Amino acid sequence: MKISAKNFTAIALVGLAALGFIGINGCVEGKQLAEKNGMKLWSENCQRCHFSPSSNAFSNEEWKTVGMHMQSRALLTSNERDKIIEFLQN
Amino acid sequence: MNTRNVFRKSLMAASAFALCLATNSYAQEGSDKSDLSKQVSSLMPGESNFMMAGLVTFGFVNQSTSYTSGGFKATDKTNSLGDVDRYEFSPMFLWRHGDKLLAEFEPSWDGSAIGVNWADVSYFVSRGLIIRGGYIVLPFGTYTKRLAAGWINKLPSDPMGVDMAGSDFGVEFEGGFPLGNMKWSYDVSLSNGFALANDGTITGVGINAMNNGKTVTGRLALLPLSNSSLEIGASGLVGSLATPAAATFSNINSTDTKGPSLSMYAVDLNFLHNINPVQLNFKAQYSTAAVSNMNYINPADTTSYTFTNSTSSYFAQLSVRPTQSKNKVLKKLELAMRYVNYTAPKQSLWGQNYSEVDVSLDYWLSWRTVLKLGFENLKSDGTTSFTNSNGLDGNSTSINRLIIQFATEL
Ligand code: HEC
Repeated sequence: MKISAKNFTAIALVGLAALGFIGINGCVEGKQLAEKNGMKLWSENCQRCHFSPSSNAFSNEEWKTVGMHMQSRALLTSNERDKIIEFLQN
Repeated sequence: MNTRNVFRKSLMAASAFALCLATNSYAQEGSDKSDLSKQVSSLMPGESNFMMAGLVTFGFVNQSTSYTSGGFKATDKTNSLGDVDRYEFSPMFLWRHGDKLLAEFEPSWDGSAIGVNWADVSYFVSRGLIIRGGYIVLPFGTYTKRLAAGWINKLPSDPMGVDMAGSDFGVEFEGGFPLGNMKWSYDVSLSNGFALANDGTITGVGINAMNNGKTVTGRLALLPLSNSSLEIGASGLVGSLATPAAATFSNINSTDTKGPSLSMYAVDLNFLHNINPVQLNFKAQYSTAAVSNMNYINPADTTSYTFTNSTSSYFAQLSVRPTQSKNKVLKKLELAMRYVNYTAPKQSLWGQNYSEVDVSLDYWLSWRTVLKLGFENLKSDGTTSFTNSNGLDGNSTSINRLIIQFATEL
């Protein structure tokens, strides 16, 4: 597909608008979300797909690996991942 | 010998002995220390971590199939300990370097062939961006990437038609963000794409792309409730389809030089709700795939034909588990029900209207181990309107299956 200058400008504008939107709103965590601790986030997030694992299922180092893996499966926010993994590490 | 001499000698011997003891025991203590420090340092977290996980799904299948064709009816019954659609042994390897790099590889044996589900490496660039490359699961719909594992799926089989996109070689960009008290995520990939087969179905092209066109796939998801109990996703996939060297299909308009193209869309939903003492989970996905119209050759009589090449499929599933029940057995039981519908293009060689009703009673031995007792009723009616070698017209198939399945995550 050849992209004409006009289409390119349109795509670039949409892209910029999306980036701007993410920049302004994307990283703002509402109060309710920000106040949740690791245990709460663990109890709410994992069971949408599978039942929530118990903290003794893996070692601390393995939890870090699982944390990255599940961040990519569930598309958790980085804050959520950090809090959940800290809760699961013992 | 005088006593002084004896005394001096014994004192010297005693001191030598004491010195010897002291140095030896000191040396002993020294090596104890280094052993201990070795042990401690071996337990200290290193930069890298290798972890092996994976899954095993195994079971018994009792199946009764009835075919009706041209007024004839035949029935076939089988009992099998495991079958190719429901047996899976897939070790999964995860390598992590620090907190930036994660490689994942999942080979899989289905009892007859070894395949690979995914083999890729992810780089965690920033808080909202993960870049992945390799053989990836395409971000189309939610089932293949997030729900297909035997220990996650609450029913013994995968719903028909959800694997329309599958895995491909490419690069992927993804991330999740807060949006006030809501959350949203994006997942976009660029991959080698698919080729069109002579019957109008699509197949993966693999590691060596056959044409210059690439396939773009993406999914946007919103979690509108602050407790993350509802997720709604919308996906799209567009790309040009490669034309294999042995292709017998051609453009409808013979002067047209453009090859075939593919566009797919999907919406998915996942909702979890607790009404004490039960937990309800509703999952659904609708997907559709359309290939641009082409002229095909009927292998039976070499006549040419065309059809509207669009396929659609959906499933809706509800499961109930009394997670808060005081009864120890009851709280581990879950009842799952699912309806599946799949429509393959009318007048194609594989045209059919297919539907499936599934019920399963699951016993959860742990969060990752389940024993399922499932019943499935499948119905398929062929919709090819002309005679050909494997015409499905007027053919209908009905299958009843009873399945006992064990699934665990390693
Ligand atoms: C969007 C669905 C989804 C969510 C939400 C989810 N998981 Fe998973 N999880 C999976 C899938 C799918 C697998 C199977 C492995 C795979 O396919 O990569 C898995 C596997 C696992 C495993 C096995 C080891 C591994 O890394 O594969 C652990 C442990 C795990 N999940 C923990 C969690 C935790 C903790 C949470 C909550 C923060 C969570 N998961 C949320 C989909 C999900």
